[in-house]
Amino acid sequence: MSAVVEAHGVRKEYASLVAVEDLSFAVEAGEILGVLGPNGAGKTTAIRVLTTILSPTRGSFQVARTPHTRPAEIRKIIGVLPESAGYPEQQTGEEFLRFYGRLYGQSRASAAAVATALLAEAGLTERGHSLVTTYSRGMRQRLGLARALVNDPQVVFLDEPTLGLDPAGQRQVLALVRGLAEERGATVLLSTHLHAEVEELCTRVLILNRGRVAAEGTVSEVARMAAAPRSARVRVRAERVEDALGALVRANGVETVERADGQPGWLVVVFTSAGEESGSAALLALAEADVPVLAFELEGARLSDAFLAMTGAG
Amino acid sequence: MIVAGQELRDHWLGGRALGLTLALSLLLSVVSYLVATNQALNYLEQRESVNLTLQVAVAVGALLALLAAADTISGERERGTLESLLVTPISRQQLVAGKLAAALSLWIGAFAVTVPYVWYLGRGIGVVSEALAAGLVVGTLVAVFLASLGVLISSVSRSNRVSLSVSLLLLLVLFAPTQFPTSAQQGWLGDFLLRVNPLTAGEHYIGKIVVDSHAWSHDASWLLSPVLGAAVFAAAAIAAARSISLHGGSRS
Repeated sequence: MSAVVEAHGVRKEYASLVAVEDLSFAVEAGEILGVLGPNGAGKTTAIRVLTTILSPTRGSFQVARTPHTRPAEIRKIIGVLPESAGYPEQQTGEEFLRFYGRLYGQSRASAAAVATALLAEAGLTERGHSLVTTYSRGMRQRLGLARALVNDPQVVFLDEPTLGLDPAGQRQVLALVRGLAEERGATVLLSTHLHAEVEELCTRVLILNRGRVAAEGTVSEVARMAAAPRSARVRVRAERVEDALGALVRANGVETVERADGQPGWLVVVFTSAGEESGSAALLALAEADVPVLAFELEGARLSDAFLAMTGAG
Repeated sequence: MIVAGQELRDHWLGGRALGLTLALSLLLSVVSYLVATNQALNYLEQRESVNLTLQVAVAVGALLALLAAADTISGERERGTLESLLVTPISRQQLVAGKLAAALSLWIGAFAVTVPYVWYLGRGIGVVSEALAAGLVVGTLVAVFLASLGVLISSVSRSNRVSLSVSLLLLLVLFAPTQFPTSAQQGWLGDFLLRVNPLTAGEHYIGKIVVDSHAWSHDASWLLSPVLGAAVFAAAAIAAARSISLHGGSRS
């Protein structure tokens, strides 16, 4: 499969401020790339460069094989929901979508049909003829998502689409985002602060910190990369628990060992530092003490742990 | 065309342009009533009454176009709708051209409202058609000049308030020579200031046609600055559209 969005060493600077530095990554068709980073990490600037709003100071990128030197062509094949997008005061949802359809060169009839279909997809059919100013924030975000789809884009850029939404609104927007990739086959770049949703929704993750790529890969790769397991669960025979406790306490890299509550034979081991080597050292200590190991589970690292470790946030 | 159509709907169906045009209509009613009936003002010769009404209409109509233009880009910027427009396939120049055309519709509306007043004040002396033609030509040139100036200011302004304030300040500066004492308007410097300013030159030209009954070609040199002002500033507004940025200032 070839990359639909590909960036090579993109740099964006404003006077003396470098907002994005050496941004390189690739996303394939149908993937959802979660773009994470603390405030000011360069997420919005990166999206604005990739959507041709800003010109890169250095480096190159392409969207669906269209090089960044042809921004007008890129704009035809992408959909964008900018951060804090505004909406016109005097248009209904249906008029809003029709207007944008016309900007993409659709005939009046075609733009009207697309608007009707997108309103249905966004769950806004009943409010399609109401002024956008009467919409709730969640409805506006869904309308914004619908607007990003009027040209049936190959790539959709969403900058903080769930910002300021209540949990129900977030779920509705994220369900639409999932549909973009699964049903439309679009590639999605999703900038967000919702780590749990990224873990659930995204196929790949890009973590930005101070304008640079701190990590990139699948969710599990990134989670392992920066927040390798710091604890494990070990199961031994109930009569050998004391021997196991003694061996593990003396093992290199083990910080604490204790019995798991209500689970006979299970021990929880916390390592002094992250890394799979600590797990190996614990297993070696048990083997040397001649304690048979019935089960050994490294505790799964979470994306949020990786994020905090890589960005120094929190 | 699509941008212009949407802007026209926003201006006229949204009610703002209609309200401003109605206000102009009230102003023209008062002016017409005074010049036609007031003992202190009705000494004006009939042609001068027509001229005064046209001058007011051109000045206010151009002002309305300027106000609408000053909101074009900075307004989108302030409402957070500019980025969504900039990521569509239409070029920045098309965007500005559409908005400029829609802003000029306020002048067209103002002129349409002026027609019955000019007809009423100028009836019976054979000046109506020439006055309206001169008003349309000069008013359109001045409106294009001012609206283009407004778009230029709006393109680089970080807020709508700044755009409107700067536009109005410049308009006052352009109108200032009309308030100079007569002696200051004479001599080569006074003549130069009147001619170089599209607003004063245009109004002077209307006066020559309507009051002095001069032929259009007789004082055509007075049309030079309105024509140049309209052409140069419209071209500059379209050219500067390439540099429109999300936050104002130059494009980064």
